[in-house]
Amino acid sequence: MLTHYRLGSIIWLAVGIYVAISSYRLGFGSFTQPGPGFIFVLMALLLMVLSAIDLGATFIRKEKAGKENPGDILWSGVRWQKVLLLIAGLSVYISVFNFLGFLCSTFLLMLFLFKVDEPTRWWVAILESFITILFSYGLFGLWLKVSFPQGILGF
Amino acid sequence: MDVLHNLFLGFSVIFEPYNIFFCFIGVFIGTLIGVLPGIGPVGAMSLLLPATYKVSPLASLVMLAGIYYGAQYGGSTTSVLVNIPGEASSVVTCLDGYQMARQGRGGAALGIAAFGSFIAGTFSLVALMLIAPPLASIALQFGPPEYFGLMCLGLTILIYLASGSIIRAIMMAALGVMLGCVGQDLETGSTRFVFGVPELLDGIGLAPFVMGLFGVSEVLLNIEQRLKLGKVHEGKIKGLLPNWQDWKDSIMPILRGSIFGFFLGILPGGGAVISSFVSYAVEKKVSKHPERFGKGAIEGVAGPESANNAASGGAFIPLLTLGIPSNVVMALLLGALMIHGITPGPLFIANNPDIFWGVIASMYIGNVMLLVLNLPLIGLWVQVLKVPYKILFPLILLFCVIGAYSINSSTFDIAVMVVFGVLGYLMRKYKFECAPMVLAFVLGPMFEKSLRLSLLLSDGSFLIFFTRPIAAAGMIATFLMLGSCVIPSLRKKREEIPMDEER
Repeated sequence: MLTHYRLGSIIWLAVGIYVAISSYRLGFGSFTQPGPGFIFVLMALLLMVLSAIDLGATFIRKEKAGKENPGDILWSGVRWQKVLLLIAGLSVYISVFNFLGFLCSTFLLMLFLFKVDEPTRWWVAILESFITILFSYGLFGLWLKVSFPQGILGF
Repeated sequence: MDVLHNLFLGFSVIFEPYNIFFCFIGVFIGTLIGVLPGIGPVGAMSLLLPATYKVSPLASLVMLAGIYYGAQYGGSTTSVLVNIPGEASSVVTCLDGYQMARQGRGGAALGIAAFGSFIAGTFSLVALMLIAPPLASIALQFGPPEYFGLMCLGLTILIYLASGSIIRAIMMAALGVMLGCVGQDLETGSTRFVFGVPELLDGIGLAPFVMGLFGVSEVLLNIEQRLKLGKVHEGKIKGLLPNWQDWKDSIMPILRGSIFGFFLGILPGGGAVISSFVSYAVEKKVSKHPERFGKGAIEGVAGPESANNAASGGAFIPLLTLGIPSNVVMALLLGALMIHGITPGPLFIANNPDIFWGVIASMYIGNVMLLVLNLPLIGLWVQVLKVPYKILFPLILLFCVIGAYSINSSTFDIAVMVVFGVLGYLMRKYKFECAPMVLAFVLGPMFEKSLRLSLLLSDGSFLIFFTRPIAAAGMIATFLMLGSCVIPSLRKKREEIPMDEER
């Protein structure tokens, strides 16, 4: 079975192969006249070689230890579900940011963030979100003149 | 006399209300960041990088520099009072600082940390002032091969000092160079890895990149583990002014820490963390009573706290004279300057005397401000320590989001930040270091340019890097350092060096 660490090395190996092929097509040039893909080819080759060595090392480590790779326990005993929830929340925020506008979408994001970590009363979370929005809009929107989208609600 | 004249110029610039305001904002935020665990100076600087787009280059540099050295000051507070280092460079301060607090001498520990930091900060400024201009004039003779050699050395030292696998650190540096070179090729005009996205034509933005890697990923890691603070030292903190015996015990450690810190700070990849550990080791070695260390010896606070501040000053030398950042913090400062169209390097001091000397003068003023902020206001910082993380992390994320958006008024930058946030989170979980990647990202375009120009100059021969003395010295040191990792005894020594992810 592939360990988590092994998976990491394989991903970087794949990235290296992809970049090496794509950048060679971009134009490696020559050593006397390096092209636009020159540095990418060199770096991708380095990445490929090192990730292959790293991958090989995970097999040696496993043989030596004779037990489960520490990578297998990376996800146990931690709240990875909260992390997924946070990433999902940020992704939704990005997708509705222009549509709903800064004030509305950021208020919802703040409400979500204040509620996601530990149980908080709704009125407390709403108040915290409201104050945060007010302060951040005053600082960035009014003082630093950052132009935020208004969205369909017009504010 | 030239130095005095220029310093006068610096003070005349920095005393403008606009600049002094940003100096205060910088040291204030720096202290705050230093006090708060869960966010470091790199995260804070990257968060505030977009805010500097709208201010003058001097004000932005003054503010970002203030955050950096302010964080070194603030980091000592949590080390002494809670036994949690606010910054990695304050880890060693916990050993004796917290013990002093338990013995009712927390005030003296905080006091000597602040005074030591002030003395060391001032020492490093004087040294920076005297060393930087002559070094810059020597650097004028450097060509692309010299720059390539020095960049290789800088990256290698950072890789060498990265925690964990050196192979993985090199992999991350290679990835950083590639990411840094995404966008239009300046020589041929062809686009590279843009995938039809117009926002990528100018490359991946530095601010969303570092905000993701250090800001968002830090939040994700802390949320995963439910970050909780230890018990904050209760009761009034008194006796902040060290007594005569404290001064007698501390003055030599402060002076030694200042010297070690400054020179270790100059080295590429070196910096505040290593210098604080070196200073602690030296003080323990030279002490007549080494058994007191770890049980509340004031020398164990004075030396490291002075060293980490002196290192902050030393780290400016390679950036301002050669244009090569020695660590991630300096890479961010380089980014901030380049956003304003200013390229640090040998001509930087000659072309921008007001900025260089203004920054130097701001550090004097900033050090005084920090002394005022850290001693009388210690009670305020103790209260800040009690802010729960469930309030703190939404604010960090909000700053990240607004910061990323405000650069180009584009949600694409927020998306880039989130993508690199997730990548950074996974990298840190799987023991891939972010620091070499960020430094390589910033150096990437320079690295590519100097390599291509060198090869053009030499008609394709890599020997050019070994026939010119400075380039050869850089390359040989690079190979020696990488080669040393293969030797088991040296590899073991490397693993014993204290590491900092945000180096």
